[in-house]
Amino acid sequence: MKFSAGSAWRRILFRHEMLLLVVLIVEWLLFLHFGTMTNRRGVTVGFGTLDRQFDILRHSCEIGLLALALTPIILTAGIDLSVASLLGLCAIVFGQLTHDVGLPLSLAIPLTLLAGGLGGAVNAGLIAGLRLPPLIVTLGTYSLFRGLAEAMTGGAVTYTQFPSGFLALGQGRWLGVPAQAWIFVGVAVGMWMLVHRSVAGRFIRVIGFAPEGAQYAGVRVGKCLTFVYVLAGLVSAAAALVYTARLGQAKADAAVGYELYAITAVVLGGTSIFGGKGSVTGTLLGVAVIAVLKNGLATLPVVIRMNSAEELSGLLTGGLLLFALVIGMLPKLLSAVCIRR
Amino acid sequence: MKDWRYRRELAVAALLGCILLGLAIWAPAFYQAQPLLSLATREAPSLIVTCGMVIVILTRQIDISVGSMFSVCGVVCGLLAASGWPVWSLLPAGVVIGGAMGAVNGVFIAGLGLPSIVVTLAMLVALRQGLNLFRQGEFVTLPDGVQWFGMSQVHGQIVVLCATGVLVALLAYGLQRISLGRHFYAVGSDAEASRLAGLKPRRVTFLAFVFLGALTGIAAMVNVVQSPQVQPLSGYGMELKVIAAVVVGGVAISGGRGYLWGAAVGLLLLACISPALVYLHMEAYWEKAFQGAIILVAVLAEGLRARSARRHRTDFS
Amino acid sequence: MTFRFRTGFFLSILVPVFLAASASTVLAQGKAMIALMPKSKGNAYFISCKAGADKAAKELGVELLFDGPVDANAARQNEIVENWITLGVDAIAVAAENKEGISTVLRKAQKQGIKVLTYDADSLPDARSFFVNQATPEGIANALMDEAARLCNSTGQFAILSASLTAGNQREWQMYIEKRLAEKYPQMTLVAVRPCDDLKDRAQSEATALMSANPELKLLMAICSPAVPGAAEAVKQAGRVGSVKVIGLGLPNENRRYVKEGVTQTVVLWKTEDLGYLTVYAANALVNGTLKPGATSFKAGSLGEFAVDKDQILLGTPFLFNKTNIDDYNF
Repeated sequence: MKFSAGSAWRRILFRHEMLLLVVLIVEWLLFLHFGTMTNRRGVTVGFGTLDRQFDILRHSCEIGLLALALTPIILTAGIDLSVASLLGLCAIVFGQLTHDVGLPLSLAIPLTLLAGGLGGAVNAGLIAGLRLPPLIVTLGTYSLFRGLAEAMTGGAVTYTQFPSGFLALGQGRWLGVPAQAWIFVGVAVGMWMLVHRSVAGRFIRVIGFAPEGAQYAGVRVGKCLTFVYVLAGLVSAAAALVYTARLGQAKADAAVGYELYAITAVVLGGTSIFGGKGSVTGTLLGVAVIAVLKNGLATLPVVIRMNSAEELSGLLTGGLLLFALVIGMLPKLLSAVCIRR
Repeated sequence: MKDWRYRRELAVAALLGCILLGLAIWAPAFYQAQPLLSLATREAPSLIVTCGMVIVILTRQIDISVGSMFSVCGVVCGLLAASGWPVWSLLPAGVVIGGAMGAVNGVFIAGLGLPSIVVTLAMLVALRQGLNLFRQGEFVTLPDGVQWFGMSQVHGQIVVLCATGVLVALLAYGLQRISLGRHFYAVGSDAEASRLAGLKPRRVTFLAFVFLGALTGIAAMVNVVQSPQVQPLSGYGMELKVIAAVVVGGVAISGGRGYLWGAAVGLLLLACISPALVYLHMEAYWEKAFQGAIILVAVLAEGLRARSARRHRTDFS
Repeated sequence: MTFRFRTGFFLSILVPVFLAASASTVLAQGKAMIALMPKSKGNAYFISCKAGADKAAKELGVELLFDGPVDANAARQNEIVENWITLGVDAIAVAAENKEGISTVLRKAQKQGIKVLTYDADSLPDARSFFVNQATPEGIANALMDEAARLCNSTGQFAILSASLTAGNQREWQMYIEKRLAEKYPQMTLVAVRPCDDLKDRAQSEATALMSANPELKLLMAICSPAVPGAAEAVKQAGRVGSVKVIGLGLPNENRRYVKEGVTQTVVLWKTEDLGYLTVYAANALVNGTLKPGATSFKAGSLGEFAVDKDQILLGTPFLFNKTNIDDYNF
């Protein structure tokens, strides 16, 4: 019992989230130091400006929303590769509803969310209803959703000229902060309540730990799984609206490749790909670490002169992910070594 | 219920047969020697990677970094050729580079016990962006004499196809008849049981990733010799195509079940969609949707089969 | 112990903050910074533009940034422009992947006092001051279509290979090609338009399939630069050299081999290096205030005087490279 105080500290210190927080603070400070400068017009530019910080928020909202949607799914030991494709499909659906059908926003937005929910329901039906492996099902819908988006537009139509009220959702500010940040915060709080403060959240973890056991313990596994996949569809649709509003265009190639970044953020946030273990806070920190890294690198004069901010940040993100994995394994490895001795 | 051994593979082959028959009826122009030879040669690299992916998935792992490894091998070999390495030395070079990258995956996955999907996701991102950083997306122009090994084009295509065929046949035979091949099945069915039976599951898993890496290197070479330039984006999206082929071909994602030739038939099926659309004068944009639908139908069939099998079995639980 | 740890923790945060506040680097004193964005930076076409841009930047003593997506990606272009805005560059010149998609962020740049131009592919007119136009879309389309008709004796089937069906300038060229076709060459038919995603391998597969599906095909027209060698390779592999002709928009170096072998008949292009050179000169002139809206002509270094038509700076007419003259050019 002598070490109890110390080990309590250690528990907090060695928690994955704490490690991420330290990484986040360190990189933020480094970029603040090296990425803020005065340009030749005498204006302070770069990482340290409020504008830049808001840009980071804006750029990370869609990936953040997808990562939030993926968190409960990965907690059930599932995966959803189709989120970004569904985002593309929803963007096209929204574009067609507002332009070709001519519906007002008040109808088009709920219908787009409904389309997202339906897309999620396709995944849910196959995964929860028929118990098919999520990796393969969502690999199929990954192609299917993107393919439908391309087929619906002939790969060519780009929907633009949305009403300015809608564009404000992605480009304007509400209460001094980028508008989409409020949606992000809302979804994040909702997701946190769901995962950490509700019975459903506990069921989700149980399913991830032991699906058979969950069944016998009276958890309605099918219902729970359906819920998380449909929810992911809804959140993807919301992300589609934000994406469309930010770029001012809806096109079939919207958000190609975002699923990789979203999964990276979730796993970096400490959620185990085998399910059961992880947190929404971790995911948020994971998103923040990646977003600050990506945007921060783009403000460093050295990196700008290399003309390769995106590539460098991708390389570092991959490295960081491996590093986080190895760090997460360290206690297990050490104890394995100790037992062997 | 009577369960045929190759039920699933034969079903896929039958579907492929239907498409080919449909083409024969509505678009007989599809059956011309030269275009078919070109089509087959273009799919040869994917086929080789598919074989490697079968091995990895049989051991109940997955590798989504193949596309990036493919690009890296292609570009590095292209640069070696451009700096004057003889053509014959490129193949071993590709094998070594690919094998080394596969070994890195293997160390993390088999050595440290990390989840394969996440490790290879990190590799996918890191390798692709690293290559972009290094090359800025620029093409590599190859010297004369690399394309088709300096032979005429038809001869080159026949050599490529024969070599691919021999390689695939050897791998298919090895997986069924050589003890190492059976070990992949054993580890994929039940790692713990295979350990108790005296195998070394970690070593087997490591080897599976090295095999896949080396095969990806060979595939990249087969791609490099087909044209006078190497585009760094050439492996883009290959991982999904290959995994889809494996799954459609009836290899269980849960490991230990499936046949290499099934996956090869699966790849042919997916590869036929794009030309079939052109020959039937349909819009190109439906291609991806069709591929997705085929994957879903395949997994659905598998699920329904498993379900009825469960129902027919005496319930011990 | 708790106390000491906390103090240490906060100190470790505070010290760098002070450091950051005290030291702010001054960026590129006195030198103007001009940022140039290609549609995709690995594309040989834009690499050749960059060569010209580098030359101009050296002559003018300005700093040149050259960044863009590796694959033609509209969203990624927006993000890079936003990076440049926060950095406070003096001028931005963009080859827009998507007309409307890029315009919002370009307007934002203009609001911050950054001079904005487009080159190669335009944005919406109100989002930039000038468009450096390599040749009018109509001029390019007519040159391609006329050359195709000449090679086919104005009869028979042909097919188009384009980059993506979403790229703005590709759509525009295609439109004018179809217009010219309807007006002047009623005996010719366009059997298909296939996208190749700016990938050479994909273009090759598409061309192979097109030739077999349409045995009567007489000509392949590739309107994005990676597709020209792709189409030529397909024709060569199909053993149809001569019976299926290849023309397209591409760089001499990429196509030299095929043109000399007689696989590709004609490559149509403007001088891409000059395009980059002219764009940087125009950007610099905008920053200095020597080029203002309403100007009618403008002098660009060693290239001399260029006509300005309203808000477009015209590079000139497209050039036809063929077997006889291709060896005179190296880019």
